[in-house]
Amino acid sequence: MNLAQVLNGLALGALLMILSSGLALIYGLRGVMNFSHGALYMLGAYFAYEATNQGLSFWLALIVAPLGLAIVGAALELGFFRRLQRRSHIEVGLVTFGIALVINRVIVLIWGDDTHPVSAPKAVDGTTNVFGTDYPTYRLLIIVVALAMAAALVLWLRNSRVGLHIRAASHDTETSGILGINVDRVSLVVVCLGGALAGLAGTLAAPYFAVSPGMGQSILITVLIVVVVGGIGSVGGAMAAALLLGLVQIMGNVWLPSAAVLVPYALLIVVLLWRPTGIAGKRV
Amino acid sequence: MLRAKVSAALIALLVSGGLAACGSSDNSSSDASSGGSSTTSAAKSDGTPLKIGLIPPTSGALAVFGADEVKGWQVAVDQANAQGGVDGHKVELVKSSSDGQPATTIRAARKLATAQGAKYIGGIMTSPEQAALSKQLVALGALNFNSTGKDDGLIGADCSPNAFRSVTGSAMDVNAIAASLEKLPAQTWAIQAVDYSTGHSAAAAFTAAAKKAGKTVVLTQYAPLNTSDFGSYISKLKSAKADGLFAVEYGADGVAFVNQGAQFKLFDQYKTVLGFNMVSEPLFKTLGKKITGFYNNVGYDVDADNPFNQAFVADYKKANGVDPYYVPADTYMAAQILFAAVKKAGSVDPDKVKAAMAGLSLPDLSGQNVTVGPDGQAMRPSYVGQVVAKAGGPGGLGFKIVTTTPASVTHPSVDPACKS
Repeated sequence: MNLAQVLNGLALGALLMILSSGLALIYGLRGVMNFSHGALYMLGAYFAYEATNQGLSFWLALIVAPLGLAIVGAALELGFFRRLQRRSHIEVGLVTFGIALVINRVIVLIWGDDTHPVSAPKAVDGTTNVFGTDYPTYRLLIIVVALAMAAALVLWLRNSRVGLHIRAASHDTETSGILGINVDRVSLVVVCLGGALAGLAGTLAAPYFAVSPGMGQSILITVLIVVVVGGIGSVGGAMAAALLLGLVQIMGNVWLPSAAVLVPYALLIVVLLWRPTGIAGKRV
Repeated sequence: MLRAKVSAALIALLVSGGLAACGSSDNSSSDASSGGSSTTSAAKSDGTPLKIGLIPPTSGALAVFGADEVKGWQVAVDQANAQGGVDGHKVELVKSSSDGQPATTIRAARKLATAQGAKYIGGIMTSPEQAALSKQLVALGALNFNSTGKDDGLIGADCSPNAFRSVTGSAMDVNAIAASLEKLPAQTWAIQAVDYSTGHSAAAAFTAAAKKAGKTVVLTQYAPLNTSDFGSYISKLKSAKADGLFAVEYGADGVAFVNQGAQFKLFDQYKTVLGFNMVSEPLFKTLGKKITGFYNNVGYDVDADNPFNQAFVADYKKANGVDPYYVPADTYMAAQILFAAVKKAGSVDPDKVKAAMAGLSLPDLSGQNVTVGPDGQAMRPSYVGQVVAKAGGPGGLGFKIVTTTPASVTHPSVDPACKS
């Protein structure tokens, strides 16, 4: 496997890393597998498409789309997660699935069924020579953004007061509440952040894959696998699993192309047999 | 326990995804097409209208093509009615709809043929729908005119004596690509194809044709259907020492492949990029100028220099504001085949119209004459075109036809599996 293929694995893993971090955060705190996460990611991509279509720069879209999705996240928290927090997780999960269907339909009604292109900014549209290999600069940007996001998120969770509250609430919501942590407020922050990360991933994916109505559903399964392999609710585990899956997927494409589509599922089975609680176990 | 919950939820997601695709709608509306004139000459007819039931997809990704099929039928019907109908029979379109699922389409076809008296069916989009309907046509006493379903089985194991196809089939298109290979400059080829029957059969036909033409294929690789990240495939293509690329990627996969190939500067290394169903007029705006110079099979030559085509293009543009492309053009030809058969039969009785198909010959939009084979396939030419800049074209692009292959070459004999 040459350097270009390693970078392909890292680029795919980087995108999955951003997306799965948000999903893991929400699960860690609310205990809800948010099936609308793929739809939020798709909505982020469409926001980026619309913003660039309206003449805004892609760099601005990279800020606007996550902000828009943070607002959608707030609506989800206040409208559904908070109100349904005493219901069973399966019920709330199904509600999130319904939300995904609604978002899908709204997107089709607004933007249609067609695939839409989003151009990468001129500054990163070419190729960069990486140790003798010409590689698309835009994909390198995705890797850099994902690593920066991961570092910032880990530092924030470890060193800030809100991060401490999130980690505490993720371990035990009730005890955290008794100790004076405003769990509802923490939850609002987490779901907004999860939405924003989905929006960031969607925006980055727009020039990477192109924008189409099926993009959310197709990536959701992979991201769910990443979160389970990482250790459900663990942000660090999800990040590690995303990079692992990206690299393993590309290795499958290169060496076992006829079975490459099975790679994520094979990885899921192997990891769960080896470590039933996932790579990170119960750590946040 | 936790894993059980997650597994249950995953299963629910997958099952619901399947169910979500299965809507249903079969509401019909009759449209006695006004056209230019509603006057019926009824010179030779008994006043019986020629009723055509249309069942296009009206939801999902194919809805836009379904709407264009209806436009093709509408132009043909308007032209015919403006001239007093077909052999004196005023033409009526009875519009129904489908979600692209065979069960929905069959329900709509039954209703059209029995309750609404439309024994001629058109506008059905996909090959699975066509195949499912083929099994019902004789019992319904109806004739189906397929202008979009390209599956080879429709003129093979799934053929019906009551089904006719105006669009060229997949094998015909692949054979046209193969026949054009000698004229394309590249000598050493790489193949990128979808891991699906179409991709495998196209790659096999291309490889055989390349061998015959004295050219070599150095890499053949397949990507699963619905692949969104082609990075690893493109990196392998870049490493292969080829000066030509044959790509069988279509729909969203084709868009992703072309966009990502451009990001990798993949296409710069080739003398020839030849697509099969990869670039077409509806995608020109989406794909943009990066596909200039690409070759692809072309379903219809909008610039064909003959009065029949020019009249169609003018009327279509007048009605819809844009030039026609292959979907409305192939649909228009389906209508012309039906009208010619009705004229020859001197009746709108389906059995007589079916009998009139044998030996039927009529003008084609290509400028040549078209006949209908015993398997129901219209013997029309297939094209390979090159994407060029074209003022007024979608995205400023258009096809320049580089090779035209007659149906006698692309479809030399009837599949023995077709027993009709």
